[in-house]
Amino acid sequence: MMSNHADQDNERRPAKFLAITRINDVMQADKKAKVGLVILFIFLLTAIFAPFLAPYDPNEMTLDMMSAPSYQHILGTDDLGRDLFSRIIWGTQVSLFVGFVTVAIALIVGVFLGVWAGYYGGWIDMIIMRYIDLQWAFPNFIIAVYLVAVFGTGLLNIIVAISLAFLDDFARVARSMVLSLKEQPFIEAARVQGTSDFRIMFKHILPNAMGPIIVQASVSISYAILGEASLSFLGLGVNVNTPTWGLILADGRSFISQAWWLGVFPGLAIMLVVLSINFIGDAVRDAFDVRDSGI
Amino acid sequence: MSGYILRRIFGALLVMMAVATLVFFMLRLVPGDPIAAMLADAGSDEARDALTKKFGFDQPVIVQYFKWLLNLLQGDLGTSLYGSNQSVTNILYEALPRTLSLAGLSFFIAIAIALPAGIISAIKKNSAADNTVSVFAFLGLSMPDFWLAILLIIVFAANLQWLPAIGYVPLSSGFWEWLRHLILPSIAIGTGFSAIIARMVRSSLLGELKSDYMRTAAAKGLSPSSMVVVHALPNAMLPVVTVLGIAIALLISGAVVVENVFSIKGLGRVLIQGILNRDYPVVQGAVLLISAFFVFANLMVDLLYAVIDPRVRYE
Amino acid sequence: MDNEKFIKKAKNELKEAYDYDSEDPLFGLAKEDISGDRLSRRTTLRLLAAGGALTLANVLPGLRPSVAFAGGHGGGELKCAWSGVGEIVTLDPAKINQVLQFQIASNVLSGLMHIDNSLVAQGDLAESWTVSSDGLNYTIKLKEGVTFHNGDMFNADDVLFTFNRSKDPEQSIHSRVISNVKELQKLNDYEVKFTLSKPQASFLTKALERASGRAMTIVSQGALDSMGAAQYGLTPVGTGPYKIVEHKQGGSVVLERFAEYYDPGRPKLDKITITPVDGAEPLAAALEAGDVQYVGGNPIPSQLIDRFKSNSNLKVDIKPGPGFQSIWLNPWRDYMRVDSFDKPLDELKKEKGFQVRLAIAKALDRDLFIKQAKFGNGYPAHGSINPAMGFYFDEDLANVSEQAYDPEGARELLAQAGYPGGKGFPEIKLQTTPNTKRDGLVVANILKQVLGINVIVDPKDFSVGIEEFDTMDYDLRLGGSGGDYDPDDGLVDWMQTNSKFNGRKRDKSKYPFGFYSEAESDAAADAQSLVADPQERRELVRKANRITSDKVTCGFLYHPVDVLVHHKSVQVPEEARIPGLHELDRISLA
Repeated sequence: MMSNHADQDNERRPAKFLAITRINDVMQADKKAKVGLVILFIFLLTAIFAPFLAPYDPNEMTLDMMSAPSYQHILGTDDLGRDLFSRIIWGTQVSLFVGFVTVAIALIVGVFLGVWAGYYGGWIDMIIMRYIDLQWAFPNFIIAVYLVAVFGTGLLNIIVAISLAFLDDFARVARSMVLSLKEQPFIEAARVQGTSDFRIMFKHILPNAMGPIIVQASVSISYAILGEASLSFLGLGVNVNTPTWGLILADGRSFISQAWWLGVFPGLAIMLVVLSINFIGDAVRDAFDVRDSGI
Repeated sequence: MSGYILRRIFGALLVMMAVATLVFFMLRLVPGDPIAAMLADAGSDEARDALTKKFGFDQPVIVQYFKWLLNLLQGDLGTSLYGSNQSVTNILYEALPRTLSLAGLSFFIAIAIALPAGIISAIKKNSAADNTVSVFAFLGLSMPDFWLAILLIIVFAANLQWLPAIGYVPLSSGFWEWLRHLILPSIAIGTGFSAIIARMVRSSLLGELKSDYMRTAAAKGLSPSSMVVVHALPNAMLPVVTVLGIAIALLISGAVVVENVFSIKGLGRVLIQGILNRDYPVVQGAVLLISAFFVFANLMVDLLYAVIDPRVRYE
Repeated sequence: MDNEKFIKKAKNELKEAYDYDSEDPLFGLAKEDISGDRLSRRTTLRLLAAGGALTLANVLPGLRPSVAFAGGHGGGELKCAWSGVGEIVTLDPAKINQVLQFQIASNVLSGLMHIDNSLVAQGDLAESWTVSSDGLNYTIKLKEGVTFHNGDMFNADDVLFTFNRSKDPEQSIHSRVISNVKELQKLNDYEVKFTLSKPQASFLTKALERASGRAMTIVSQGALDSMGAAQYGLTPVGTGPYKIVEHKQGGSVVLERFAEYYDPGRPKLDKITITPVDGAEPLAAALEAGDVQYVGGNPIPSQLIDRFKSNSNLKVDIKPGPGFQSIWLNPWRDYMRVDSFDKPLDELKKEKGFQVRLAIAKALDRDLFIKQAKFGNGYPAHGSINPAMGFYFDEDLANVSEQAYDPEGARELLAQAGYPGGKGFPEIKLQTTPNTKRDGLVVANILKQVLGINVIVDPKDFSVGIEEFDTMDYDLRLGGSGGDYDPDDGLVDWMQTNSKFNGRKRDKSKYPFGFYSEAESDAAADAQSLVADPQERRELVRKANRITSDKVTCGFLYHPVDVLVHHKSVQVPEEARIPGLHELDRISLA
């Protein structure tokens, strides 16, 4: 169970800056986090400027198939003569987009449900909790696989599937925070003053609950990126006309002993992004001192 | 205590029931015609009608549901729509030992790496050894399991040809043959798992080493190694047990992907192939078994925790 | 004997082979020549020539050094990999729906007939047969003294049992194959008579063939009763050269020599282990490490062929494969709409919809496709009749077809249709299966380069894809046929208004026909089905093939190759080399 970190001292500071200030302090001190931020920033720039950075059209085929890394093709070409470096650069877009968007959706919807359930209790809480329990019966990735099987592949479906899969984690964290906060004196005070429930939930309680939610988000982003890559790898991914890292790996798999670069570089890209997020996430966890919550 | 256990088991069964219902109805939303998959391009219209009838797809969904539920309670998961209509129970029965072998060996490898690594890095905090463990733990956490699987195949199967790149051989064909086929996939799955455990062991052990009773023990003149092994480690394992649930989820997810890389027909491959073939009964069975496995594992973790930590309330 | 002398002698022999005419190998063959216990040498030669498979070895059996194998049982164990599959789902002929399944079953179960390496039907459990002059009655005399693996004796009752099982759509998915049989009578214990509703030239090769037909592959009633259908699907019992001693779902199939097989000269090996191997890399690794010595199953991944060729321990044999792959064009999409194909070609060419279709077909750079997608292994296709059919294959079609690759002409047509340089043309989807995704990407790239149109590749699982194909709910689809041994397989199954794949489940009020309907080619395809005279049949086949090519039933893409890869120590005689099949009973180890 997460503990409450909203001590008296912090209460006087504007609550919404609380979380950010604390993260900032720890980031300054943590070397890993700086490295992580730099790597992530580079990948973000790569994603945004992919059209200018990629030396070739990522889908342009030539008969120069499976040629080894060289001056023309620094990471070699794939089985259809496409430039691997350009494909990996373009792949950054999908990977980061899916990673951040799915977690944003899961966070917003999950936190909303969790806060709602925790604040009101009763049958709303019951229904939401039963739903969360149901999701708890599956590993997140299995939920995503199952949802993609039901909805079909494609960018939108992947985003829906992964968001839904991670939703219960946020709802759970938010609910437990609300439960521990709602009896606090400052909430009582607000209630007595006649503040609306909505205002209390999202203006008073939520900012004080942001710590564990941010920690959860940092964990989820890395799993969402890995999840998208795994789905693409299993052939349940975005689509085959858009290069994604998981897809490049899956396609390259049949050629790895003739072209090792197809099996190595896309995976390296996935690992670097996830690593950078884990570095940052680690620092965030230190900031909120919630080491014991898991990963 | 026994009331608590019974309540938890009953709760788990209720969840499983809900899971079964959800899985049944959601799968009816899947696009694609299972009969078309069965017939491939060989079918006539009569054959199509006959099969639709045989598998009851012409009946209302709700009727199909209750029939299915009734059979489920009797342990009958129906038959595969594909091939020569093997019973799903049979398919899962064949697949389960493969996944269990894989999960078991992955677990073993993970613990065998994680425990010593975690202990060393906690005792020698901030040493070169600690930093090395930390770097590898981060890499292990960040590496997609299927990529690691591919790298292992490139090196140990394709180039060195030490170990087979695919397949599963049952234990009955000899221990070495069995082990040989499982080593690469188990490493692929176990690495991420071991990173989590190692980090958990380290931070939890560090907490214990700082605690009052350790200082008392040191004052009493206990040797550092016996202090760690006899006193700190057992206490430090408590929080480790709580993350086992998360780790098991990773193990299962890992098995689903990695089984497909190594063509091991365990639960994960049965599931993915079932999805691709629109083989409803097989997908239902596989999802049910996977979630049962997961729910059961979590239940065991909770109960284990209740047993070893008296502070847990049995509400 | 050195090679030159050998060839000279063979040529002489060929010349003197009765009234052999290389231009018209089947001239003068009467029904008696094809009926009977075995085909005369003269008939055999002509049929071989007709099949396009007349080799020197056929003319001078035993003379050519490389095919001179010692007969009889040589023993030994062969380890095979079955490529591209994780498990052998079923071996029950009533349920088989993949080539790689009947490749195995054909070595375990017998049919009444079995094609030889020139794709001509020979007696298997049929000792001899006669065909009535109206082509409606086939009286078949069965071999006597044949036993099943479980010891049961084979007789006419087994033929009846198999027939009734295959006819029942609830038990067999192949009931359609024998839908033309009006009646099957048991004349006595070793004689049966099939009565057909209408004559069918392909009856022996299609309906009675043990491998590709699957409807009259003789199953054992005793074994089915005792083990049940599900188990029978794993370990079927038949009268074939090998019996299955072990097969668990997802595991290897282990075959053992059946000592009481009716031909004492076969099988040659004691034991065969067939292991399903999924994925190109594991297959290469297993073969190169010597874990397996022979590869069957799905076609060997193209990228491995050159690699295997350069391996001195392996032998790679490439032949035309029996099939074709095409780009199917939905005529009910507005931008390539054709309401009727029953018009002269010149008139059709004035319609915008047809111009787009023809432009796409003309833009298919088949040579580039084969180089890029198939690593050079394949033959350009312009029609549904494949080069493995030899005699019926039309080599000229590549030059004379409207579809022949012509980028300039294609661009011009597209411009005439109102899309100069692809401008204004909608983004369309090319549906593939997960396995043909790569091929689809190459096609999309070619269409983009030649026509400037955007094609999105959309891989769908087979069950979803075929549903959309059947209901005419697609733009373009990459697909086609395999295991086409008879012109019927290419024409009747695919190219006619009533073909089984031609929009079978479409909304008939909205779409009067599926992907294609044309009276003249329908008539030619119908006629060739009924004509027994091969020469006449060939003319009709050629006619139907040319019309369907010119009027763009689909954009024909390529004919696959049949590649056999095995270790040098494995001896595969010419008669064991049937495209798409594996005659394991004729294979031996050095």
